[in-house]
Amino acid sequence: MSPVLRTLATLALLGAAGGGAVVGFGLYDVSARAGHWPITAWVLHTTFRNAVELRAPAPSQVPELTDDLLRLGIRHFDGACRMCHAAPGEERPATIRAMEPEPPHIAEAVVGWAPNELGWIVREGVKMSGMPGWPAARDDEPWAVVAFLARVREMDAATYRELTDPPQVPEGAPPHLGFCAGCHGVDGRSGNPHIPRLDLQSKGYLNLALRTYREETRESGIMAQAASAVPEEALPALAEWFAEQAPAPGGQPTDPALASRGEALAKARAEDPEVPACVACHGPEPDPSIPGGPGPEIAGQYETYLATQLRLWREGTRGGGPRAELMAQAARHLDDDDIAALAAWYASLGPAPRPSDPTR
Amino acid sequence: MQRRAGTTTLAAPVRRVAPLALILLAACDGPQSALSPGGEDAIQLGWLFWVMLAGSVVLWLFINGLFFLVTRRHPHPMSRKLAEGTIVAGGIGLPLVVLTSLLAYGLSIMPHQREPGDGLRLRVTGEEWWWRVEYWPEGATEPVVSANEVRLPVGQRSDLELHAADVIHSFWLPGIAGKTDMIPGRVNHISMEPVEAGTFRGQCAEFCGLSHALMAFQAVTMEPADFDGWLAAEAEGISENARQAEGHAIFQEQGCGACHALRGTEARGEVGPDLTHVGGRGTLAAGVLPMTAEALADWIAHPEAFKPGVEMPGYNHMDEAELLTLATWLEGLK
Repeated sequence: MSPVLRTLATLALLGAAGGGAVVGFGLYDVSARAGHWPITAWVLHTTFRNAVELRAPAPSQVPELTDDLLRLGIRHFDGACRMCHAAPGEERPATIRAMEPEPPHIAEAVVGWAPNELGWIVREGVKMSGMPGWPAARDDEPWAVVAFLARVREMDAATYRELTDPPQVPEGAPPHLGFCAGCHGVDGRSGNPHIPRLDLQSKGYLNLALRTYREETRESGIMAQAASAVPEEALPALAEWFAEQAPAPGGQPTDPALASRGEALAKARAEDPEVPACVACHGPEPDPSIPGGPGPEIAGQYETYLATQLRLWREGTRGGGPRAELMAQAARHLDDDDIAALAAWYASLGPAPRPSDPTR
Repeated sequence: MQRRAGTTTLAAPVRRVAPLALILLAACDGPQSALSPGGEDAIQLGWLFWVMLAGSVVLWLFINGLFFLVTRRHPHPMSRKLAEGTIVAGGIGLPLVVLTSLLAYGLSIMPHQREPGDGLRLRVTGEEWWWRVEYWPEGATEPVVSANEVRLPVGQRSDLELHAADVIHSFWLPGIAGKTDMIPGRVNHISMEPVEAGTFRGQCAEFCGLSHALMAFQAVTMEPADFDGWLAAEAEGISENARQAEGHAIFQEQGCGACHALRGTEARGEVGPDLTHVGGRGTLAAGVLPMTAEALADWIAHPEAFKPGVEMPGYNHMDEAELLTLATWLEGLK
């Protein structure tokens, strides 16, 4: 072995021993009080900025950031993000400010980022910073938060409070109803096409949905957060509350031509043998020729929500209860037009009258 | 004593070979054999096979005889004239005569395989991995829909229109006739004329995906009167009794009608096989399972276990008793 090689090998061994000692004997001080050296902080932050710019989706993939999306996203922010990033017009608690790295105030955090980049950060999180990734395998949900972030700098404290305060609940309402009703409405009607109506559903189905959100077998970062923020023992009473709300009659306004194609598909009259008859499981009653099946009530549900759910089923990321495989299989062959048509038809229908069987 | 010993030594190899030969010969019989034909075309194909076999044996003996002659009997140089004559006669003349006559025979029986039918038309569609079967009797305006079983009247030539819904399949019913590919976007034809009543087995003969080997079917050939009776019954919906039964309620509750049609009810799904008379078919899941209530229950709960990649989802969330009630009811839909 040449002297050069021998020197290099010795240096490598010494280096490995030094590294091993730092890890093995705890020589590196992990204390967050001291903070990073300026050079370390610069390296970490620059890496972070460049990594996000490299990986963010194209700006064209950002959906329209509507007020409806904002109203959903801001409440999720309030429950899941505000604890670290604070709301407009309020300061972060001292303990949060002592974190290393320090989570920026939300009005500062969004500076210099475009919506597509914010979407990536909200969905993926940031390693070694305390910023978590989205707690579900879904790409669509983070945009609701981005809709809020895109406008957070011009929002004042009063507007924020108005958009996040729980609504008034009647006497005798179950605990935590205000929290749920913030999005879903006290009567189960959210008035927001991204947030499903709950007045249509049975107690059994709502309980199943809450359980699958908590167990994370049904994918939704927003609902996983919400269902785990409420104590488990409070959930049945909440499910019962919404199940007892009389479904508001009448459907949603939709494109009649689209809806009529949806009807043909849903009743297996579209000459498309790849698409199962939706009505076999989802009704609607009261058409006496069609028996109500085992699926949730979807007649009268919001078009946008139905279309989103169908896309999740088709992608295989929806998840759910023990029958989820049936719906996953049923939605496999739907194309975008089928989804639009089916969502339009079911949304246009009036909700089914509540069945007499209390277990349904 | 010696003689008996001699017999034993001679017989030993025979005794060793005999069972093997029996096993091999056993494969010539059975419901899926071209060598025990039950249809006009299969008889012709059988003849083609035997004629070819006989011809090959004669040729084999002739060639080996010549070889024996020139190496053992007359191992001397041949005259140039004889050698050239042998090459021309044996290398050009003989193959020309043999192959031309075989070709003429083969071509002469080919049109027969595609002869138009006498009236009954079947439309069979290959799907991953089952068969959609429609019967169109002469003059019919809408078909009698069934699946995974083909019934044909004896003594009549039926025309089979072959389709494919997804990938290429091949319809092969060796006991009755030949084999024809099913190609997406194209209609192929084959006609069949059974000569005796019986039960035969068909099989998809073109690799079509994960469960290609599990895509079979049963074919039943029937006397014309029996066939007409069967078809009339098959055209009916399910009976009033069956409609009122608990099994039907479970069928509806589970949403089976989304994918399966039950004529005479609201169930009109076309994703999977028509189940109106499912219990009357000889096999379940395209030749994979016997048609029993137990097999139906197993299939409904775990279809993937019997047919990998199958489109039908598993219903293992159903409770055992309900599952068996449903299966028993389905088995009773004759």
